[in-house]
Amino acid sequence: MRSTTTKRAFSALVGLALVATACGSDDDSSDGDDAEAEEADAETAASEAVDDAETAASDAVDEAETEASDAVDEAETDSTEASGDDSGEAASGDGVRLGILAECEGPFGGFYEDNVAGATLALVEGAGATVNSTTTALDGFEGAEVAGTSIELVGIGCGDDTPDRAIQEIRTLVEQNGANVVIGPLSGDEGTAVANYALDNPEVTFINGIAGAQETTLHVQAPNFFRYTGDGAQWNAGIGDILVNEAGWETAAVIADDYGFGWTSAAGFTADFCAAGGEITSQVFPPLGTTDYSSFVQQLPDPDEVDGYFWVVGGTGTNAALEAFLNAKGDLTGDQHAGNLFFSPALAEALGTDIGGAYVGGFASLPGDIQTPEIEAYLASADETWESLASGAGGGEVGPASVATGFGFGYGYYAAGTALVAALEEVGGDISDGQAALQESLAGLELDLPYGTVTLDENNQAIVDTFVAQLVVNDDGEVVQETKYIVPGVDQTFGGTYSSETDPPERDNTPCEEKDLPWQGNEIPVVDGVPES
Amino acid sequence: MTDTTQAGASKIKLGLFDMTPRQVVLMRRVPVVVVSVLVGFAAIWVLFLADRSWTTDTSAGSAIAEPGEFLVTFLDGLTFAGLLFVVASGFTLIFGLMRTVNMAHGAFFLFAAYIAISVQQKMVGKSRNIESSDVSMLDWFVPLLVGATVAAVVGVLMQQFFLRWNQGQDLRQAIITIAVTVILADQMLFQYGGLAKTMTWPGDVVHFFEIFGQRYASSRLFMFAISLVVAVALWVWLNRTRMGMVIRAGVDDQEMVRALGINITLVFGITFFVGSFLAGMGGVMGASFSGVALGTDGQWLLNSLIVVIIGGLGSIKGAVAGSLLYGMVTAFSPAYLPSDYTFYSIIFTFVILAVVLAVRPNGLFGRTE
Amino acid sequence: MMPTNSRSLAVAIAFVALVLLPLIGSDFFVDFVMTRTLMLGLAASTIVFLSAYGGMDSLAQWLIFGVVGFAIGNLVAESGRGLKFGWEPWLAVPVALAVATLLALVLGVLSARSTGIYFLMLTLTYAVIGFYFFGQVTTFSGFGGMTGIDPPDFFNGEPRRLYYAALILSALAYVAFRAIARTPFGMALQGVRDDPVRMESLGFNVQVHRTLAFTLAGFVAGLAGVLNIWWNGQIDPTSIGINPTLDLFIIAVIGGIVHLEGAWLGAFVFLGANIYLRDIPVIGNIGGVIHDRILAEERFNTVVGLILLVIMLTSPDGLAGMIARLRDRLRGRTPDDEDHLIDIGYQPTSKTQLG
Repeated sequence: MRSTTTKRAFSALVGLALVATACGSDDDSSDGDDAEAEEADAETAASEAVDDAETAASDAVDEAETEASDAVDEAETDSTEASGDDSGEAASGDGVRLGILAECEGPFGGFYEDNVAGATLALVEGAGATVNSTTTALDGFEGAEVAGTSIELVGIGCGDDTPDRAIQEIRTLVEQNGANVVIGPLSGDEGTAVANYALDNPEVTFINGIAGAQETTLHVQAPNFFRYTGDGAQWNAGIGDILVNEAGWETAAVIADDYGFGWTSAAGFTADFCAAGGEITSQVFPPLGTTDYSSFVQQLPDPDEVDGYFWVVGGTGTNAALEAFLNAKGDLTGDQHAGNLFFSPALAEALGTDIGGAYVGGFASLPGDIQTPEIEAYLASADETWESLASGAGGGEVGPASVATGFGFGYGYYAAGTALVAALEEVGGDISDGQAALQESLAGLELDLPYGTVTLDENNQAIVDTFVAQLVVNDDGEVVQETKYIVPGVDQTFGGTYSSETDPPERDNTPCEEKDLPWQGNEIPVVDGVPES
Repeated sequence: MTDTTQAGASKIKLGLFDMTPRQVVLMRRVPVVVVSVLVGFAAIWVLFLADRSWTTDTSAGSAIAEPGEFLVTFLDGLTFAGLLFVVASGFTLIFGLMRTVNMAHGAFFLFAAYIAISVQQKMVGKSRNIESSDVSMLDWFVPLLVGATVAAVVGVLMQQFFLRWNQGQDLRQAIITIAVTVILADQMLFQYGGLAKTMTWPGDVVHFFEIFGQRYASSRLFMFAISLVVAVALWVWLNRTRMGMVIRAGVDDQEMVRALGINITLVFGITFFVGSFLAGMGGVMGASFSGVALGTDGQWLLNSLIVVIIGGLGSIKGAVAGSLLYGMVTAFSPAYLPSDYTFYSIIFTFVILAVVLAVRPNGLFGRTE
Repeated sequence: MMPTNSRSLAVAIAFVALVLLPLIGSDFFVDFVMTRTLMLGLAASTIVFLSAYGGMDSLAQWLIFGVVGFAIGNLVAESGRGLKFGWEPWLAVPVALAVATLLALVLGVLSARSTGIYFLMLTLTYAVIGFYFFGQVTTFSGFGGMTGIDPPDFFNGEPRRLYYAALILSALAYVAFRAIARTPFGMALQGVRDDPVRMESLGFNVQVHRTLAFTLAGFVAGLAGVLNIWWNGQIDPTSIGINPTLDLFIIAVIGGIVHLEGAWLGAFVFLGANIYLRDIPVIGNIGGVIHDRILAEERFNTVVGLILLVIMLTSPDGLAGMIARLRDRLRGRTPDDEDHLIDIGYQPTSKTQLG
């Protein structure tokens, strides 16, 4: 019923719009000589077309045969038919209607497959889903069911790393496709926008993908938005402590991207490094969009003036900034450099073999050298599910599916999917009453994930185990990451440095003060991929 | 396009109000005086006032106190300007002759870079962590030529299939090139993913030397040398060959060239080839210099626009001046702005642009037609 | 208002249909697709107004649209980034509009001397400055942007009211722009578009006319910006970055940049393509055949680009021109009637010669 009326309205509008323009196209100039001459003629055409438009699919549309309007028209038919009903609330009795919000454009557009594969794998493992294709996750899955409640994939949103687009995509998923549970998004500012949307839509449950802005949970505090991964600051917990107490740094210079994620990562490092007794002597924030980093690198102290440098520069900036350092300050040596997740051999090709020994902050999943039975089972199940995937983690090339799910961008979505399955099981598939029971269960989960156990704090933010890795040169002469410490129980507040009262991290609003942090000195050493606990 | 208000009118209007010629002359002087004062102040600032520890708190000392830092900053600006010139000269060449604003210029830049990177990986036989010691001169120049040629061919195809028919309709052509950009960018994302990729300099050019105690990389000078070669070659081509003269004549008066029986379509095709080739060449150099990723295309389109708007659309001389000014501002503003303001260096760049346009609406070397 | 010709009649019927639309359309279609269509159409109509009547192709309209959003965000928000003044939302509107109009005036003065493609690029650089300004100056926003900006209570949680507000403002702007074209100012503006030299010698101040037109367009773009921030609830620098800036321009151009109503038509088609195109399974299937997913659903940007390319190659004055020619053919007129060969863009050289 509904879909027909929608279509009719749509066609009528297209028809009218076309007619309006058709009739008006001659007299835009001020004099409009010939408008009158045509008037009678045009009026007939107009009324005819309007009649048509009002009766059903308008003739005007058919006659126009412009690709665009035709295509739009078809699309409308398809989507309304596919989704059946278009209001989210009405669908809540039928089961979980899942939307996945990933990115298919912008800087993280290459990770589209990874994101969707992560979420899908969780449903394959826990909800008995079967994938529709063994070479791509984007074709969706079928037959997912938990405790009698079916999980249907109603749409995959395609973000482009901007909050505006994320909101448009999420509205399409929720309001058009009728999604009542959404997994996503990928990046920080998108996450904050989605969390704000969640506040206005309490009957829909949102589980964060891998977005890492601090305020998403700490400040927005939407009761129906859950994050089972760390934020950008949490991922850098522990590394400051290690650098001060293990590598003997007393002073450090920070060079970080001049935007939210750069600030948050730098803030996490600063809080941790200072808590352990270190001092930040210099901070440089090159603007996004910088091509030539040489002038910014010049602003850093020379290698003999500081114990070390902490790098938080991503995208093309990673290589460009490191190159600029090489050119102006000297070689990149392992004992003087450390960085957040961008400082990895996969992302920073400029790191030569001298970099061996440098410490790197954590991310959602662990480096490949750790092989616990849980991790092995997780990676194997990905390879059983798909023959191959063209994953972003594999540089866009077709490769084993475990490459995609083993990296944070896939794993974050996997964690979200696993949480959904676990919570549905706990409540016996009950998604009635605005999903109250489901959301309560999600908030209280103790989730056993392959890369560690996660619980949520009162803001629905994960308290995670993160890690500190070290760059080493392997037998083939390649630089790889090796896990050095596991940092247990990292929470979002850094021992009270951050709270809902403090402003979100900015260029330098993180105070540098010595204090006790819960994980300080409790890092679990990892030797040859085996945690020594 | 014309700025007929200035060229044709008997009564000149400069601002919003009617003025006597005398007032006009005075008004014209105002921006010039303001600019001179600003430039003078900037020079004095850099030469004497800038100080690391004193109240100005810049990250580099004054040129007198720290000649090394000054020289390094200057070289940074100069070498970056070289790269800017290679890219922007292609843009301005195409515009100068055909009045086509090629919004796909950045996409060609990126496309050539990706092609060259794959070719280099094939030649070196490694797909990751290529060290410059693995790379011979041939392993760098062959990918450069391949990448730039592919970009040039794509450019010519675009011109022949999509732009030839609507010559003279600037806006329509600009939108068509935007459409090409959208398609190219989407397909490049699909083929190459979103991660940054780098081209590796040949080992022979990766050395370091000392200037007043500051370390400096010879690869930057190598890049500048290539830009110089490009500039000289362009100059010779445009000024010393028949083809170049036809192009210059075409810039001035297309109808006349056509009337002389010259095959202007061929000339257009060649110009588009060269312009896109330069975009591609810049792309390969840029990929070696700072790496490329999705989004680099837009950034370099913007860089080209800034250079040619400053210098004047369609003028090679303007491209030189624009690259130098833009390159210098990019290098000097982070180093010599007080450290609380270095974040604003990009905005500062645009302020320069606005100042130039306030004085000369058609750019430094743009012609008032 | 009495319809004076068929065009007005058709537009009036379209307006009535849009008034009645909420009775039959789904919530998503009305509150998302059509509200957004009207907002973007309103913003794009200022580009069309400037181009069709003033001969100025402006890429700064989206900037002004966004500046209003930032202004309201700074004035209204109580926490987060920016100034956090915590004003009453209605109070912020006149201030934000004043800021936008003033900005438009300043930019108009600065660019009144430039014409044609130079004007286009100059306004593009304004747009980019805006992006970096709000990205870097954390006093007003920073790259994280401003979130959780609530509309006035009247609109809060009432998307239907926002739809009607967008509809009313669109209608008013449409009527006003067309009325202005017939005022002495509008006539002079079109004279300036066609032959600035002659207008100058007739004693018209060319630059004042251009500047005033730009300011007026800025005010209207600002109105669209108010609706947008209430509808979207958040704004950040990428909202006014180069991509959305070009998107708005593309909307104006595919609609047909010489027809005012083309702005809304362009917005409708552009949004429709972006929202619905991906759901067509056919495209994915073609992709499977050609080359692994080269045209798959997630590559709908390629399809959008192809559509844009086809429209631009086949019809210089966009969809509106396409339709006009089609109508002529149906009526048996020769398609190359002169009155439809309006080149998009402003071509003073040829027109000067004619004059």
